[in-house]
Amino acid sequence: MINALATEILKARRSRVPWVTAVAFTVAAAVGGLFMFILQDQYRARSLGLIGTKAALVGGEADWPTYFAFLAQTTAVGGMLVFGLVSVWLFGREFSQNTVKDLLALPTSRTTIVAAKFVVALAWCLILAAQLVLLGLLIGAVLALPGWSGEGAASGVAMIAATAVMTMLLTTPVALASSVGRGYLPGVGVMMAAVFCAQVVAALGYGQYFPWSVPALLSGLAGPDRVSPGLFGVLLVVLVGAAGVAATALWWRNADQDR
Amino acid sequence: MAPVIETRGLTKRYATVVAVDELDLRITAGEIYGLLGLNGAGKTTTIRMLLGMVRPTSGVVRVLGAAVRPGAQAAWSRVGYLVETPAAYPELTVRENLAVAARLRALRGSNHVDEVIERLRLTAYAGQGARTLSLGNAQRLGLAKALLHKPDLLILDEPANGLDPAGIVEIRDLLRELSQEHGATVVLSSHILTEVTRLATRIGVIHRGRLVRELEAGDLTAHLRQRLSVSARDLKAAELALIAAGFIPIRSDADDLVLTDARAVREPDAVAIALVAAGCPPTRLVVEQDDLETFFLRVVEA
Repeated sequence: MINALATEILKARRSRVPWVTAVAFTVAAAVGGLFMFILQDQYRARSLGLIGTKAALVGGEADWPTYFAFLAQTTAVGGMLVFGLVSVWLFGREFSQNTVKDLLALPTSRTTIVAAKFVVALAWCLILAAQLVLLGLLIGAVLALPGWSGEGAASGVAMIAATAVMTMLLTTPVALASSVGRGYLPGVGVMMAAVFCAQVVAALGYGQYFPWSVPALLSGLAGPDRVSPGLFGVLLVVLVGAAGVAATALWWRNADQDR
Repeated sequence: MAPVIETRGLTKRYATVVAVDELDLRITAGEIYGLLGLNGAGKTTTIRMLLGMVRPTSGVVRVLGAAVRPGAQAAWSRVGYLVETPAAYPELTVRENLAVAARLRALRGSNHVDEVIERLRLTAYAGQGARTLSLGNAQRLGLAKALLHKPDLLILDEPANGLDPAGIVEIRDLLRELSQEHGATVVLSSHILTEVTRLATRIGVIHRGRLVRELEAGDLTAHLRQRLSVSARDLKAAELALIAAGFIPIRSDADDLVLTDARAVREPDAVAIALVAAGCPPTRLVVEQDDLETFFLRVVEA
């Protein structure tokens, strides 16, 4: 496993994709900071027109709890795209670049290689979440946001981390689609479909039963009046994650690799 | 001696297409076995089944004594392979690509990588990104990955692809050395007849998924047909004279006469005497032999 992990880390390290995902999460933290900056001064918010209107939608208060909630919601929605991109790249590239055939008849089993890819995906997503938290803390401190408390910060960070893990689990079917579809596009298609369906199902009021809506609902994106998915929703997410990992490993082990 | 590779009734069907049909192979240690066939004959599917990449519809594969099936990987530490066009991680250098392969083969130290870089003459490109390699050097990198761990069995699909003539000779010598000096078994597929015949000790001709002929490389010339080709100024008169002398001439597309019967090939002087006696002496009289391509096409079309 260590050998497989080392190779996946080397491949990831030498790729541009980590930088692209890091930039995406940097932009997310910065946008949150911009909203807080606007909300700190209502006159400034109104004078900025559209940006002011959107910023008001965040919740209307420029404080630490609102900022942490925004960052968690960003992780839920943006994470599905960014973490999905990570999975698409980790798995789909082996097929698009035809390197998969060099991974199939080795002393290191295919299951170990798949496991190493998922471990790297999880670690990558957690690093991105950590980056978001650190940038958030920095930006919040620079803006001198009110409402700081140790307990509130711990709870906010925990929510971001939990949202990141749940969102990453929901991208495991993206890895499966990239493998079965043998390339990037099928994975991207599944990812976009999941994001679209999550929005529609949540808007219809059934988000607590649809795993891809759960992280956003738990992070409060739909507002306080919505039903929380609770433990059932979390279990659905875990189930999707486990099923995605198992199906991907089984597919790599058993499917004909004839292209 | 236990075979290094053994297949029995190996078959692969895709819907209505039979890619490989009841293939029985038995390849022993130290052999260089050439799998020869036209494009689409089933060579690559066979190789993928040998490597466990494709599951047979029916039949059995054993490699180095171990049954090949999903999840079984006992043999792979002793097998090196190259399937179809070589692939490499483009953002990694040649050395890093080999380091990745070495890691996944659980090889310790960097000497394996250094050795194979030198052996495949990749030293000048070791620090170069794989994306910038020429087709020939990419093929060398693919072969380097296959040879990295000094395997007992090498399975190579079209190993000469993309190599220049000097590279082809070099790889041929390398594979011969591995077989003769290190006892490695080599299985290689190709649609290039001369490439296989120059290297292989035994040849299997595969056509439409079936093994249609298997022969020792040394016996190949015995299978090549001979014929006598005759030209004369008056071809019609020459034809009649040869018929009268008991030969069976056939008018060829090249506007000469071809005699395939054993007596004509054995006694071309008798043919010349008959033609001179009939007043139409030959302007050209030559015993010709099938070239390898003709032999191959004759075998697959039979």
